[in-house]
Amino acid sequence: MSDAAVLDVRGVGVRYGERRALSDVSFSVHRGELIGVIGPNGAGKSTLFKAICGLVNHEGSVDVNGVHCHDRVDRMDVAYIPQRNDADLLFPITVGELVVAGRRRFRNWHSRVTAADQQAAAAALAAVNLSGYESRSLSELSGGQLQRAYIARALTQEASVVLLDEALSGVDQPTTNELFDLFAALSQSGTTLLVATHDLALARRRFGRLIAINATVRGDGSPEEVLSAGVLDSTFGSASNAAEMGSDALAD
Amino acid sequence: MHWLTDPFHAEFMQRAFLAAVIIGVVAPVVGTWIVLRRMANLGDAMSHGTLAGVGLAYAAGFNVLLGAMGAGLLIAVLLLAFSSNRRVGQETVITVLGTAFFAIGVVVISRLDTGVELTHFLFGRLLTVTWGDIWLNLALGGGTVLVVALMFGELRLATFDHVQAEQVGVHVELVQAVLVVLLSVVVVISLRAVGTIMSVTMLVTPAATARLIARTLKQMTLIGVGIGVSVGVVGLMLSYHLDSAPGATIGLLAAAVFCVAFAITLPRRNKHHHRPML
Repeated sequence: MSDAAVLDVRGVGVRYGERRALSDVSFSVHRGELIGVIGPNGAGKSTLFKAICGLVNHEGSVDVNGVHCHDRVDRMDVAYIPQRNDADLLFPITVGELVVAGRRRFRNWHSRVTAADQQAAAAALAAVNLSGYESRSLSELSGGQLQRAYIARALTQEASVVLLDEALSGVDQPTTNELFDLFAALSQSGTTLLVATHDLALARRRFGRLIAINATVRGDGSPEEVLSAGVLDSTFGSASNAAEMGSDALAD
Repeated sequence: MHWLTDPFHAEFMQRAFLAAVIIGVVAPVVGTWIVLRRMANLGDAMSHGTLAGVGLAYAAGFNVLLGAMGAGLLIAVLLLAFSSNRRVGQETVITVLGTAFFAIGVVVISRLDTGVELTHFLFGRLLTVTWGDIWLNLALGGGTVLVVALMFGELRLATFDHVQAEQVGVHVELVQAVLVVLLSVVVVISLRAVGTIMSVTMLVTPAATARLIARTLKQMTLIGVGIGVSVGVVGLMLSYHLDSAPGATIGLLAAAVFCVAFAITLPRRNKHHHRPML
């Protein structure tokens, strides 16, 4: 792991009208890190991801690979995978078309998809074990396969940071294991992943670093440090609320 | 066989068939995106609202197609200006603008003393289409199809997932603005032939029918064009033999095809509603 931060978030704050959703969020992320972002519903996890991508106006600064981001073009190194419920699964688009869309960042608006783009898409699908699914429509995929298709799109985008918003909600244990095997492989190859989740049991078992969010950063460190009673109280309001998010997380 | 060939003998019918074919191609090409973006309400407002431009241009002695185009663009600009008010909502603004512009058109045309009737603009006069109209529609329609072909990838990305589209460099708002301009062009092309009210039928119904059948966007566009041309030509033939209003006959046929496709594809859609979650 290199010392240079691939993502540096400094003093980020977001307002939705009168309501302040985030304030003074700061942290750095290094190449190849696999980080769980925890917090209750409405804590600002999705807002934080959208701010990092430049999809909402924010205070503070976001640097990606040392580049100070002014607009969305500066943030093409970041891929955002939205919550599954946000996707229109009945849209007439095939898995192959979805994945090759990540190559748009390397083309002009009027350029056609090239053979090299198709090869990159095929390689990305192979990396997420979806070879042969190119011509399937999204409605034919299971929840886990859909997440992998989105990750393949992030790979064709050649994003160095991938933000997954509640990627693990509603998927069963074998699919969760499969996705974490994929996250580990991507992490080893240098891709940085931030995965938003409110499942604390999963967070304890699967991540080397956790960031606890509730309007601001409440904790940042190893699972042992972040899943302590003090941090959980400040993030979830009380330890009993936190226990509902994953009882075995607090068992130790 | 005479039943099939008789309608083609008169030159005015040949022009009418050509006009129906041009609309049958161009309207679904744009309509595909209107349906996918769930903007049918905007198409409806735009088709009605252009009547204001038509009426004012007619009263002032200008080309009515230019008037319609101007009204369409003005609606688009006002929509962008008013849509920033989140308290009212875009759908409401679209309806307010569409009905207001429609009312302007009705008031202006009803006060004209030239013998022109409101129904000519509302339902079109396919049988009075001139060669000049055909050439103009061919030029506007060809340009529209070319723009959609060039922007196909951008339209797909911006429509499916505007968040990711912005992330990889697509100018989502510009794509939206271009689509609104193309929408007003389709209304203008349809104006003389099927009228302001029926133009939205050709814009939405063939594309919506194709949406039920197609698995990919290219399929949806091509099936929509096939349906658009078919209902245009067959509807015109039916109107010739039944002595019914051409625009309305085409509209009815398009709706009938939609109903048949809806019924046939019902089992497949029900199956997809039970997709596995895991």
